Amino acid sequence: MSKLAPAAQDARDRILEAACELIAEDGIDEVRIARVAMRAGASTALVHHYFSTREELLEQALLHSFELAGDERFGEEPAEELTATRRLARMIEECLPASGTRERDWVLWVELWLRAVRDPSLRPVAAQLYDRYRTWLASGIRAGVDAGEFQPCDPDAVADHAMALLDGFGIRAMLGDPSMGSDRARSTIARLLGAELGVDANELEW
Amino acid sequence: MSPRPHIEHIRKPQILAAAAEVITERGLAATRIADIAERAGTSASGVLYWFATKDELLAEALTVDEERFNEYVTERLVTLRSPSAKLLMLFEACVDDYDWSLWIEVWSRALHDDKTRAARQRFDDRWREMIARVIRTGQSSGEFARTHNPDQVALTLATLIDGLALQVTLRDPLITSGQMLETCIVTAERLLEVDLRAEAAASEEQVAETA
Repeated sequence: MSKLAPAAQDARDRILEAACELIAEDGIDEVRIARVAMRAGASTALVHHYFSTREELLEQALLHSFELAGDERFGEEPAEELTATRRLARMIEECLPASGTRERDWVLWVELWLRAVRDPSLRPVAAQLYDRYRTWLASGIRAGVDAGEFQPCDPDAVADHAMALLDGFGIRAMLGDPSMGSDRARSTIARLLGAELGVDANELEW
Repeated sequence: MSPRPHIEHIRKPQILAAAAEVITERGLAATRIADIAERAGTSASGVLYWFATKDELLAEALTVDEERFNEYVTERLVTLRSPSAKLLMLFEACVDDYDWSLWIEVWSRALHDDKTRAARQRFDDRWREMIARVIRTGQSSGEFARTHNPDQVALTLATLIDGLALQVTLRDPLITSGQMLETCIVTAERLLEVDLRAEAAASEEQVAETA
């Protein structure tokens, strides 16, 4: 279930991993320090040593998860040079809910998002992660505008539209909605973004 | 066992309405049966008579809210002539008259509870069909382009609305409901190759002229 198993995981990382697993399994509300400690093979005292409150643990766990996802995302550089368009296609692909390593990311993302609507203590970390995600997407769009591959547009606004679709599809995928699969999500986003950017939808499908 | 149909008729809807209110105010996690009982003007055991779990209660409270929204938009749909006006009305209703906090709460629970998940699916199917029907009518009359399958357009729009609602709810005042409405309209116009506001205005003018 853990996506990375680096050779030497220190205690703090193990605790963060354990927290991520429990959030994904049971939802943020159900996460308790004692259970995280048990899952991590640590004492509750050790967990408290690293994280003064449950909220801090949750925040750091989610940041940890998205950092790792970011590393994975950029870890593999393609052999060939990509156009800005193809780079954006790959970025979108990275954001789509799919089974395997990305699925847990999606569950955590949706959990955080949905909980933050209700729980003000989670909003700062949700807002921070959202902005990081959006900046990343917007940079891919801006690169295409600068390269002359995309028509002039507001990269932040286009990124917002892309994220609204990605979040909407992600929730449906997580809920096992039969109407929605990654294929449809991919082609729909490609079509709509293609229209906004003035490029062929096929070019935006990875 | 004595039948109590009249009590069911009176009590359950009141409890559901109270539950919907309290859950919207506090979120499901912070809502206690006692809170709902107090709001409904009954006792905790009065509430627990009808619902074994809070999730069951949420699923049904959502039902009440969805039925209310459904009735509201259905009534308004029949007062409008053009598919463009109907589509605009559906978007406006989503932005202005819809309880997103409750619905987002449902998504949260649906991740972990099958009953809630099933309820969400039912309502979503019905909502998407409502949009699809308007699109089909528009495509038959030629007001909307026939490029895309109506069910797929409806799915795209419903999905977009979900994602935008999340943004508005979480990032207010950075993302506003006005922006949400604009994005819905622009996206629909792109997919259906129509100027929704112009078409809607023209058709409502016609109605005024013939009146």
